[in-house]
Amino acid sequence: MEEKMMVQRFTRSQRVQHFLLLISFIILIITGLALKFHDSWLGKLVINLEGGVIARGIFHRFAAVLLIFVAIYHFFYIIFTRYAHEEFLLMLPKFKDFKDAFQNVAFTLGLSSEHPKIDKYAPQDKFQYWAVVAGSFLMIITGLVLWYQTQAMLVLPKWAIDITRVMHSYQGVIIAVVILLWHLYIVHLNPKRFPMSRIWIDGKVSLEELKVEHPLEYERKYQGVADEKN
Amino acid sequence: MKKIRIIIYLCFFLISLSVHGLTQELPSNQECRHCHSNPNLKKVLTDGRVISEYVDFDLFYTSVHKKQACVYCHIDATNFPCKNLRKVNCQRCHYKGNLAGAPDLIKYKEYGESVHGRATALGDVKAPMCQDCHGSHYIFDKADTLSRTNKEHIPQTCGACHVNIYSVYKISVHGEALRSKHILAAPSCADCHGEHNIKEHIDPKSKVFLTQVSVTCARCHANMELIKKYDIPVEPVETYRESFHGVAIKFGAKTVANCSSCHEVHAIFKSDDPRSSIYVDNIPKTCGKCHPGASENFAKGKIHINPAKKEAGIIYYVSQFFKYLTLSVMLALIIYIILDLRKKLIVKRKGEE
Repeated sequence: MEEKMMVQRFTRSQRVQHFLLLISFIILIITGLALKFHDSWLGKLVINLEGGVIARGIFHRFAAVLLIFVAIYHFFYIIFTRYAHEEFLLMLPKFKDFKDAFQNVAFTLGLSSEHPKIDKYAPQDKFQYWAVVAGSFLMIITGLVLWYQTQAMLVLPKWAIDITRVMHSYQGVIIAVVILLWHLYIVHLNPKRFPMSRIWIDGKVSLEELKVEHPLEYERKYQGVADEKN
Repeated sequence: MKKIRIIIYLCFFLISLSVHGLTQELPSNQECRHCHSNPNLKKVLTDGRVISEYVDFDLFYTSVHKKQACVYCHIDATNFPCKNLRKVNCQRCHYKGNLAGAPDLIKYKEYGESVHGRATALGDVKAPMCQDCHGSHYIFDKADTLSRTNKEHIPQTCGACHVNIYSVYKISVHGEALRSKHILAAPSCADCHGEHNIKEHIDPKSKVFLTQVSVTCARCHANMELIKKYDIPVEPVETYRESFHGVAIKFGAKTVANCSSCHEVHAIFKSDDPRSSIYVDNIPKTCGKCHPGASENFAKGKIHINPAKKEAGIIYYVSQFFKYLTLSVMLALIIYIILDLRKKLIVKRKGEE
């Protein structure tokens, strides 16, 4: 079998950021859900495995600091590197995304025979990116308010803190649900990818897959190369 | 075995015979009465305290020990004048299987392990023994209002030694309810601290140990019958257990608040009472004990809230919104996965054809 031609799709910095994000999300979700579901046997087990409720809090804050670090790093990465800035521009929602998303739904339902032609980021990719950005932002803000609640209450009344707790708690669950059901389905459990896509490790994807999944990116970057080869 | 038992019975028989023989020569109640019915009979102790030696025989003859002779308890009162009598040992009669028919209370073990019993065992003469709480000559059934262990009298009984605590308790919401309003459901000392098994509050076995406080308070404050009858706020215990304080204490944290951290130990008042630690103006100070720098914003909003109940106000609506948002996100994603898998299956089948 002919060796597949692999192309680099994500830089090392992007992969490291993704990895740190993944570590912090996993710790945050495990420690957070354990507290939310402290009444269930699983919640009890996890809290005790984490070394009690105080240690749980320390783990959660440690992971939160990691998340904040990644967020700040990502922000500067976009501002100060040409590559990331271009990537960011590709990530911005455009009118085409709504059209593509609509067509994607139609295709999935069998109402359209054509899959939308996608550039580097499909509408669902963009949506997930922005969900992560918005989710992390809200979680960091609400989390900091709860972390420094005495200081926060110099400005906020007690009921606002209670709302913050409810928001932080439920947003955490929603983020966990989105990651478990959507992101993990796309990159792991999806029959096409199972057991997983290796892209998050080496950042590479085969040219054939790129051509099918991201035809516009393929045309933009590799059409010439491929033609030359032939 | 049988022989040994017979020997033991014989011994008992002989001992009781000899005891009987002794009592024949002992003074009768009438003789005691000669002196001890004088209200002015006093004794000066070695430490200079003067105690009355008067006995109200009329009252004594209505007590549970009305049929007992003085010398049954004061066994060393054999000669006149009976000087330097030792403290009466109640266990002479009150033990399991006693022949005198005295209630065989096995509370002694509990008492021996209690803070009072241990202090007595270590030789602390101030520590209470049976008669200090139950009374000496005038012991009545605890249902009797004359009894020192009657629920309404317990605070005074304990307060005889615990003076400062008593002075705080008696004006607290619990003390007022029990003493002024005669509400017997209100707690006396024993309801929170136990009776014979009283432990120090730093003893993990204590009913008022920091992890046990919410359990002890819950006996009344989560009792729906009492809550309805006396119009007590509905779910303080449940909401506390769901709060961070309650969860943390359940998982072994030692530095978080329990009920009495905020509501005080004995000086418990209603929230609308300015003396209360949870009166709106006092909340910053109360919270500030653990949260240094607590502002008056700590008092803006209810403390005991259940986000699942409408009484929580805006918090209820926010949490309802998120509840349905979470459910719809889950549902949408599950539908998405099913549809996506279905489509992939169709495409695959077409490819195979």
